[in-house]
Amino acid sequence: MEETQAAGIVINDENARCFMSKNLDALFNPTNIAIVGASGNPLKAGYVILQNLINIGYPKKIFPVNITEDQILGYKCYKKLSEIEDTVEMVVLITPSQMIFEVMQDLEARMKVKNDIKVIVCAAANYGETKTEEGIKRQSCLMDTAEKYGIRVVGPNCIGIIDNINRVDTTFVETLLPKESRGIRGGISFISQSGAIAASLLMLGASQPAPISFNKFISIGNMADVDFIDLLDYFEKDADTKVIGMYMEGYPEGRKLIDTLARITPKKPVVILKVGRSEVGAKAANSHTGSLAGADAVYDCAFKQFGIIRARTIEEMMDTLQAFDSLTLPKDENVFILSQAGGPGIYCTDALSDELELKMPVIEEESKRKLEAILPEMANVCSPEGYADITAAANVNHHVEALRIIMDDKNAGSVIFITVVPTFLPREELARGLAKLLKEEGYIYKKPVFVSIMAGDYVWDCRRILEENGIRTFSTPAQAVKAASNLVKYAEYLKSLDERR
Amino acid sequence: MSRFLNELDANKLLLSYDIPMAKSLCCRTAEEALIHAEELKFPVVMKVLSPDIQHKTEAGCVFIGISCKEQLEKTFRLIMENAKAYNPDAVVDGILIQEMAEKGLEIIVGMKKDPQFGPVIMVGSGGIYVEVFKDIALRLLPIDRYDAERMLMETKAYHVINGARGKTYDMEKLIEVLLSVSKLIQQDDSIEEIDINPFFIYEKGKGGKGVDALIKIK
Repeated sequence: MEETQAAGIVINDENARCFMSKNLDALFNPTNIAIVGASGNPLKAGYVILQNLINIGYPKKIFPVNITEDQILGYKCYKKLSEIEDTVEMVVLITPSQMIFEVMQDLEARMKVKNDIKVIVCAAANYGETKTEEGIKRQSCLMDTAEKYGIRVVGPNCIGIIDNINRVDTTFVETLLPKESRGIRGGISFISQSGAIAASLLMLGASQPAPISFNKFISIGNMADVDFIDLLDYFEKDADTKVIGMYMEGYPEGRKLIDTLARITPKKPVVILKVGRSEVGAKAANSHTGSLAGADAVYDCAFKQFGIIRARTIEEMMDTLQAFDSLTLPKDENVFILSQAGGPGIYCTDALSDELELKMPVIEEESKRKLEAILPEMANVCSPEGYADITAAANVNHHVEALRIIMDDKNAGSVIFITVVPTFLPREELARGLAKLLKEEGYIYKKPVFVSIMAGDYVWDCRRILEENGIRTFSTPAQAVKAASNLVKYAEYLKSLDERR
Repeated sequence: MSRFLNELDANKLLLSYDIPMAKSLCCRTAEEALIHAEELKFPVVMKVLSPDIQHKTEAGCVFIGISCKEQLEKTFRLIMENAKAYNPDAVVDGILIQEMAEKGLEIIVGMKKDPQFGPVIMVGSGGIYVEVFKDIALRLLPIDRYDAERMLMETKAYHVINGARGKTYDMEKLIEVLLSVSKLIQQDDSIEEIDINPFFIYEKGKGGKGVDALIKIK
């Protein structure tokens, strides 16, 4: 700030925003990282952070800081931050919280000489969130020092950040993801107010048929500085971010948050898992990250009003984020159910009827005739309308060609495709047949198709082939319906904006 | 310190934003009451006019269908007594003589300032069972016509308005009222809370009329 003033520039909101987002650039793409509290003990977070940074292939320099060790994982260890000669833009703090006073003193010593640190990621907990005098004092020490030097702070009480484009991973979460699967580009950027939810999402994402690689991922903990709005502003402008996901418990400036979200939703979708829906849940949220949960009904109406997608469960959120990332938006609310079996088809129809936004279309007579001509005799074509059961007698070709006919029909806005693979249907061949149609022939770009291949490990490889071809699969038809419904809601919101202009 | 407007002032404020309210006149004596009642034509409604008594029905200070001079005089005294009994410290501005508005579909229109979100508008099924049915929809203010339509569509009342029982009600008037509340809040920052319940809406093309309104100001 001092520099800007010296140059005679008036600091208005826009300038302040530029200044702050510059430091957020250092958050996602820092020149060199120091890990204060790095450890040689594989059971400690300070070890996992270093390992994750190495595994993701962070291309710049890493400096572990630890008083007792000389070397960790082949990296030279420093006793103090102030000893590091190279530039350090990011400091990850994972020391016991009681040491914050010493660490900040040393950081000040460094800043007076080098003035290079731009971001602190304080992963350690036991700060302001404890609401104890000691905890609050520790957080103030961290924040006062940071503010003095214009350093942005993430946390405390968070699991860190990941950027798969710039290959940064400061988290202490072990996802068991093999090295070669790290740093894959994805379109989902995620902000979590809970570290544990963040960790479980990373682990869950890593355990999909094809792992979900987030674009940018951040756990914000106590939001002592960097908060939802800073990151939303950043993700709004980030061309690599296609869809934004959030887990939130509360935010004190509700209206400001909604105004920020309302500015973003015309450009890219935002999916939020907002907890504290029940009165008891809201109380739990208050005592958790110390945030104001806010009246849930008001959040709910604001989300509806500004096209923000509210997910009710972790599964719904993950499915919806993946759907936004990998599929085009539907042109209307009509969803055709193409099932290989009666039971799952009816189950799906029930789930679809629960979604008031969705309708089942009457497809063209021509499509019905084509389906009847190619499918096994026992197949049910459009009874009820918008529904077809190709039956267990259907072979791979029946699956692929039936899907082609529906994808070509202009009355079907989206398609839910369900199959329970019987023993006599070759799984891999099915996956390859579908991948050829959707990916190679480009059908996936025509309209959204939600593929649910049931169930469990038996069809895992089949789903993996599809997912590796960019066709996300859903564990159950009900999950496919939720994702389909959320895409329709968002598409309808965009349409309403056009109509209102 | 926030305070409530008395009903007459609340009505006047709403009327100035084209929100139709039942015609009301204030009186301080039984003689004045009679002049007003004759002007509005019997039967009339009588209510206490006090910023300190919000739950007028509970206080025994609302009487409807007052149809003659004798009844009017008796009710005048009764309201004064009941008000005193309910809250001896209440400032009583007078008694409100209100036209007996034709009954319509009961709707509630409200606005409240949320500490985190600012002004929030509400619409839904009105009447005395609002709390029981909880058939309401909310939006942050300001709203446009699209928002007003969408929030109405979220309520069950919407289906009744749209002719679920054969009769179609004046949706357009209701949308106008919602937009008027939005405009009012944008222009007048001092208003903390509005509660119009019931707002009667009539058959399509025949508009609507609010018969009870509560406004809290800063």
